[in-house]
Amino acid sequence: MIRLADIPVRIEPTPLVGGLGGGVPAILSELASLLERLAKAEEPAAIDLRSLPMSAQDRVELRRALGEGEVQATLTAEGISNIRETRVPGVWWVEHHDRNGELIAELIEVTRMPLILMSATDEIASGASALREQLAAAAAARAP
Amino acid sequence: MLHGHHGELTVGEMLRRHGISRRSFIKFCTAAASAMALPPSVGLAMAEQLRQAPRPSVVYLSFQECTGCLESLTRSFAPTIENLIFNIISLDYDDTLMAAAGEAAESARTKAMQDNFGKYVLIVDGSVPTGAGGAYCTAGGRSAVDTLREAAKGAAAIVCVGTCSSFGGIPFADPNPTGAWPVTAIVGDKPIINVSGCPPIPEVITGTLLQLVATGKVPDLDEHRRPKVFFGNTIHDRCYRRPFYDQGKFAKSFDDEGARNGWCLYELGCKGPTTYNACATLKWNGGTSFPIESGHGCLGCSEPGFWDLRRPVRGRVGQGRRSFTTPGFGGDCNRRGGRRRDRRRIRRRQPPATTPQRAAWHRP
Repeated sequence: MIRLADIPVRIEPTPLVGGLGGGVPAILSELASLLERLAKAEEPAAIDLRSLPMSAQDRVELRRALGEGEVQATLTAEGISNIRETRVPGVWWVEHHDRNGELIAELIEVTRMPLILMSATDEIASGASALREQLAAAAAARAP
Repeated sequence: MLHGHHGELTVGEMLRRHGISRRSFIKFCTAAASAMALPPSVGLAMAEQLRQAPRPSVVYLSFQECTGCLESLTRSFAPTIENLIFNIISLDYDDTLMAAAGEAAESARTKAMQDNFGKYVLIVDGSVPTGAGGAYCTAGGRSAVDTLREAAKGAAAIVCVGTCSSFGGIPFADPNPTGAWPVTAIVGDKPIINVSGCPPIPEVITGTLLQLVATGKVPDLDEHRRPKVFFGNTIHDRCYRRPFYDQGKFAKSFDDEGARNGWCLYELGCKGPTTYNACATLKWNGGTSFPIESGHGCLGCSEPGFWDLRRPVRGRVGQGRRSFTTPGFGGDCNRRGGRRRDRRRIRRRQPPATTPQRAAWHRP
């Protein structure tokens, strides 16, 4: 499929009426209560940024308010994903892009580490057996 | 309903075979949940459920239709059609998308239906013409109505894609020369999910299929058997122009000051207040916009009775005729008799005999 950006049509941004308007403090206060829940009950949560009627200005303000933290991870799985911890520990800004570079999801996750970064048990097991096979193949090649 | 059949290939196994990592799949489900405006937690849960779910056989039948619904489906951004048909479902028959033709295609359909009897998902696109013994729509020498009755027997569930298969749509409109009917008028004994719209939003089609496969159950449906998660609100409820409606600011023509200011299109015949669909939230073309954002009122294409009761406005309104601002808004103000007469005429139609019991088709 060609990318939306390749279609030579200029999209006028919709004037935001009835949107959050100054919604950044509301998001920050929700993040604070989600963090408290995480600290107390180990309950991770996430906010889908695309589901909120945010203006471009709101987005810039939110980014500035959360800042940049110590961890930045790039995931290469069916396209690039950027996963960054913000200045607030436990608050992660996650951007998923598809193979064409189109943004397909943007979330703020409140968690110790986003689940997507962790290696899965079944994949660890299959990785171990793949390594064993590789070793066995190498040993067989060396044998006289 | 779909689950509980052991020894079949699961979606997770299929993903492993295709070298798609768990991370790619979590990402895919996260994007799908976001595109469907579902909470992110649903995306993660769906990823886990889907990995363990059996990958169902799907038979897609096209009857009296324009292929607009399939065109829409192939433009789904998340999940994409290729992701859906290579990993989540086994699309065993679709006369437009499949490479096979003629005898080979028809035998693929009968084989899929025999091998997966009682377990496959049947997708129907288009209304079913019953006039002239079903002769208005035939494939391989068989009428649509016979093919539907046979295919419905072994289906675990039927998903009607588009307003034609859900409610009759354009072919069902007056004078309905082919004797067209929706699926609910023909099949009475199977779970039926209506994904209406002319066409439906691509992510609503793929999202409904994804949830059906993930949970193995028919989702919560409204009174017209549409998934509540996508059809729970009217366009008007979620319209960004709603504040203007509340303030009483209306465009009076398509080129006046109000139209230029982006005021409410209610008085120009917008059917948003009586139309249940997700256009105002999910939008079209990967979330770019929806008709009202382009300055045109909603046509009400996802409701029963579209086209007769909800045809778009032609010419000017309110000139000695019934105005849209009167109670009973939503009818065709340009025709004498209007909505009430249309409704009476449609109600007089009697559906054909159904199998095995008479279906409760949705009267407008």
